[in-house]
Amino acid sequence: MVDHLFRHQFGKMVSMLTRMYGLTHLETIEDAVQDTFIKAIKLWPTSMPDNPEGWLMTASKNRIIDLLRSVHSESKRKENYSQAPFAKDISDVFLETEIEDNQLRMIFTACHPSLHPKEQISFALKTISGFSTAEIASALLTKEESIKKRLQRARQSIKVNDFAFEIPQGPELPTRLDRVLEVLYVIFNEGFQSNKKNILIRKDLCGEALRLCKLILKKESIRNPKVYALFALFCFHSSRLDSKINLDQEIISIRLQDRSKWHMPLVFLGNDAMNKAVENEASFSSYHFEAAIASEHLRATSFEQTNWSIILEWYTKLYALQPNDTTLLNMVIVNIQLKEMNEALRLLDSIEVEKLASRQYLYHATKAEYFCKVQNIPQAIIQIDIALETVQNQSERNFLLKKKSSYK
Amino acid sequence: MKDFMLLFVGADYQEMGLSPEQMQERMGKWFAWNTKMREQGIIANGDALHTGGKRITGPDRTVTDGPFVESKELIGGYYIVKAEDYDGALKIAQDFPDYDLGHAVEIREVLVFDQSWKMIKW
Repeated sequence: MVDHLFRHQFGKMVSMLTRMYGLTHLETIEDAVQDTFIKAIKLWPTSMPDNPEGWLMTASKNRIIDLLRSVHSESKRKENYSQAPFAKDISDVFLETEIEDNQLRMIFTACHPSLHPKEQISFALKTISGFSTAEIASALLTKEESIKKRLQRARQSIKVNDFAFEIPQGPELPTRLDRVLEVLYVIFNEGFQSNKKNILIRKDLCGEALRLCKLILKKESIRNPKVYALFALFCFHSSRLDSKINLDQEIISIRLQDRSKWHMPLVFLGNDAMNKAVENEASFSSYHFEAAIASEHLRATSFEQTNWSIILEWYTKLYALQPNDTTLLNMVIVNIQLKEMNEALRLLDSIEVEKLASRQYLYHATKAEYFCKVQNIPQAIIQIDIALETVQNQSERNFLLKKKSSYK
Repeated sequence: MKDFMLLFVGADYQEMGLSPEQMQERMGKWFAWNTKMREQGIIANGDALHTGGKRITGPDRTVTDGPFVESKELIGGYYIVKAEDYDGALKIAQDFPDYDLGHAVEIREVLVFDQSWKMIKW
């Protein structure tokens, strides 16, 4: 059976059925799809249907009608749901473009401005990507209980605010789309950056972000250069996913990564997207610059070959567009590579450490690197010790410990 | 070769909150087991059962609605397989996919009419 068939089918079916029965019945719809899968597990091994996807769809539609009927017979109301006015014709809903449009409608629902950012991500992973609450909790390093609460709140807001199950149009579209891209960016980074999780969950998160981004790209009426740039960024980063972590789940620094393991088809895919993204320079977004930086790293055949001056240029542009301390820290690292030690120090001093919150260890680790390069080993050790005190993630801690031992 | 009935006992999947991914994994295991038995020609019959049901008891033929046992003792389905003896049937049952969920397989030899008739013959 196709990898993740059920998971992807879940998102597809829920969005199609929501189109037919409306967002108010979302919970019933999700239950019905769940029940249908269980029925499939029991029946398919002995009698596989000719058209599994069609079987799933028909079975879950029947299940919804059952569930809705039983709810309504309890309240003594009789209604024939299969003939209810809002039940759209199933054959319409099955058209390929309609299937994709419905998933897009669900993405925009998940990223609706009335939902809290954290609710948006949990809801997207549950309803579009078919993750269970336990899987979301483990992917986001959150307690399952809080994920359940977020989902409840999201469903509640959707009901209370009576969301339209539509792709936004007109002047509303660009801002709504921006938020969708931000959510995809966060989902991707949860997979790409945090090293606490096992590699499978990391890949699933990155894969979902890529898949959903591609879904938006396929829709001509809403795609724009930002979407292309974000897709390129995802492709470039994903190509390095396997080489970023060794078998013991340890981080491998880009300096030591086996570049022959970088997945070239993804690099080429990203390159195509990037060419489309840069057609109009006026519309460059932070995704453009981040993708450009990632592609510069991929272009270098070895770490030594990296073109740090161009990377610095991209970072400078990124900072001008969207000033933040993480970008400054990255600029420090690039300046160290360029042996511009005075500039590196000047940037370090301009960073307000407190604002970095849980990422303060990155600042101290970078400062340690600076002191190491200017041959001030005692100061380097002091800084790396501060970093070690605050770092949470075990594999990052090991990474810092290795660095520290190299200072002696 | 004798017929053995394998009865699958355990809580309903519905109550376990399995994710779509876990359900697919589960189904993959059922497929693998079923295919293996079919290739060996040892599976005769089998079905999954609905969770609910009816029970009729007593001289008054009183009807009650199921389930009738604790949820972890529900019979979810059965296979009838061919094996030399209980050891053979136990071997077949090794591949049952749901032991990790706390489920069990109950194995019973099917009584064949022919043999029972011989038994009471004198």
